Amino acid sequence: MNVFGKLKQSNYQIAIISVILAIILAAWKPHVLVEGIQRACLYAVIALPMALILGIVGIINLAHGDFMMLGAYFAYFLNVYTGMDPLVAIFPALLAFFLIGIATYRAIIKYVLGAPELNQLLLTFGLAMVMEQLANLLWTSRPIKLPLKYVSASATFGSFTFGTFEFVYIGAAIIVLTGLLLFLKRTSTGQAALAVGQNPRGAKLVGIHVDRTYLLIFSLSIALVGAIGAIFMTRHSIFPLVGAPFTMKSFCLIAMAGIGNLTGILWCSLILGLAENFVLSFRGYAGWADLLFFALIVLVIMIRSRQRQVK
Amino acid sequence: MRNLRYLLYIAILIVLLTLPIYTGVYLLNVMDMILIYLALALSWDMLVRSGQISFGMAGLFGVGGYAAALLHLNAGVNPIFSIVLGGLAAGVLAWLIGMAVLQLRGMYFAIVTLALAEIFRLIVRNLPDLTGGPEGTVLPSSIFAGNSTKTYWLVLTVAAVSVMASEIFRRTRIHFALTSIRNDEIVAKSSGIDVFKYLVFIFVITSAIQGIAGGAYAHIYGFVSPEGSFSVDFTLLPIAMALLGGMHSTWGPVVGALLLGVASEFLKLKIPYGHLLVYGLIIVITILFFPQGIVGTIGQKLKKTHTA
Repeated sequence: MNVFGKLKQSNYQIAIISVILAIILAAWKPHVLVEGIQRACLYAVIALPMALILGIVGIINLAHGDFMMLGAYFAYFLNVYTGMDPLVAIFPALLAFFLIGIATYRAIIKYVLGAPELNQLLLTFGLAMVMEQLANLLWTSRPIKLPLKYVSASATFGSFTFGTFEFVYIGAAIIVLTGLLLFLKRTSTGQAALAVGQNPRGAKLVGIHVDRTYLLIFSLSIALVGAIGAIFMTRHSIFPLVGAPFTMKSFCLIAMAGIGNLTGILWCSLILGLAENFVLSFRGYAGWADLLFFALIVLVIMIRSRQRQVK
Repeated sequence: MRNLRYLLYIAILIVLLTLPIYTGVYLLNVMDMILIYLALALSWDMLVRSGQISFGMAGLFGVGGYAAALLHLNAGVNPIFSIVLGGLAAGVLAWLIGMAVLQLRGMYFAIVTLALAEIFRLIVRNLPDLTGGPEGTVLPSSIFAGNSTKTYWLVLTVAAVSVMASEIFRRTRIHFALTSIRNDEIVAKSSGIDVFKYLVFIFVITSAIQGIAGGAYAHIYGFVSPEGSFSVDFTLLPIAMALLGGMHSTWGPVVGALLLGVASEFLKLKIPYGHLLVYGLIIVITILFFPQGIVGTIGQKLKKTHTA
């Protein structure tokens, strides 16, 4: 299994497709291009921690988006009670969600590592439901949003105006991706984690503490996604179900890029983000934008499975 | 011993059939809901016996519901017949998508079914001319003009059909085929089982049951809407029920549906907004502590005491 390695060939293909899409859009509908890239980076940055868990711990965390939702509420309440800016709240969120990750791993995830895939899916599904309903019970389903002035900053080129604050997503995506790649390639802990992802038994034989690695990777991913929640809530209204669609989108991106291919996620999210914004830009067809995304999931998974069978 | 068991079944059947005589309308309505969920839980479990887990029940449930409602409304089809046609529509749809989707296994199948359910919902939502769009469609009147006794018998029939289907699958060679596919697909294949054919077959049957349940639901409430008929509840609650009761059996999902159905009526009165929380907790706790479910755990205990 070629996990977290060199750029695969398919990465180049996907990159070329997204670049071509981008050029066409730049000429035709520039705002679709800018907003599409911003949206794509948001998708990518949420999908990356999930890919990390799936690649190394081997669990699909169906509660992934809901951890982001909790992170968003965390930043919101920090702001309400201490006046802390959500972008500063990233740091306490990292710490808090690292601890939450440890607790979740120790209390729940640890016990299903060896269980059938079905049990793992159902468990995280149940976990997602508990988190959503708990949030619903505690904070009601009313959408909330902080009145932040700087999020509506914009820039104008000629007749074309676009929001500049959303570039923070692009920054976040680049930081998280390079950070993770450096961690996995340049540090011994990261190398050990890669080894565990490839072959837990082999890793154990050469003296890597497998359980501790799982714990670290799981908590790290939860910490990241919690912190992303803090960034997310600056621009978007939050409510208990806000994270759920992102779980599916993240999974779609991972399936598209192939498990273990972190860089590919960025390219795939570019395609998805641009395509989605493209459909949204037509008046009266906005309802079909979500359909496009779900259709893409089905299509991608089908094509991937076909490829596997041919090989 | 065996005769006693059949007597017990007949007694339960008689109690169920005559339930309207000694209970009120409220309890019958509760029973309607429980029996619909029971049919869904059983149909989900029947597919799980082959090792394939579907998260797309709500999709086929909604398709069945819409098909039944629209056929009744636009083509004037008799309500009961339209429910059957709703099941048929869901079955045909399942056959079409099953031919492609059943190549997938494990988490990929699960995610694709979840995505397909969303696709159905979005298509229904985005075709306002046919389906009424986001607001849904209201039927002129609910089935049997809202007579709760007849409605109850109708739902009881749906539940009985799914129980019988499940039992048939337990007792015939289909059971062995599905179990061996679940345990080891390669072994199943080399023993001459046409894995794909069996999977498509069971997927179509379970989807048809889900479609019939959806049609019955639509006619009982006289109303279909994208958010109501494709609600994620119709995926989640049956899974929780089958898990709690115990998978891979007929009586597990039945017991689970009865327990959780009664519990949820009670919880709805106590915590109106949080009763789904309890469902989530039940799923988590069941998976962690007794993955066999109630029926499975009790069965194991009984076996142990027998052999000891």
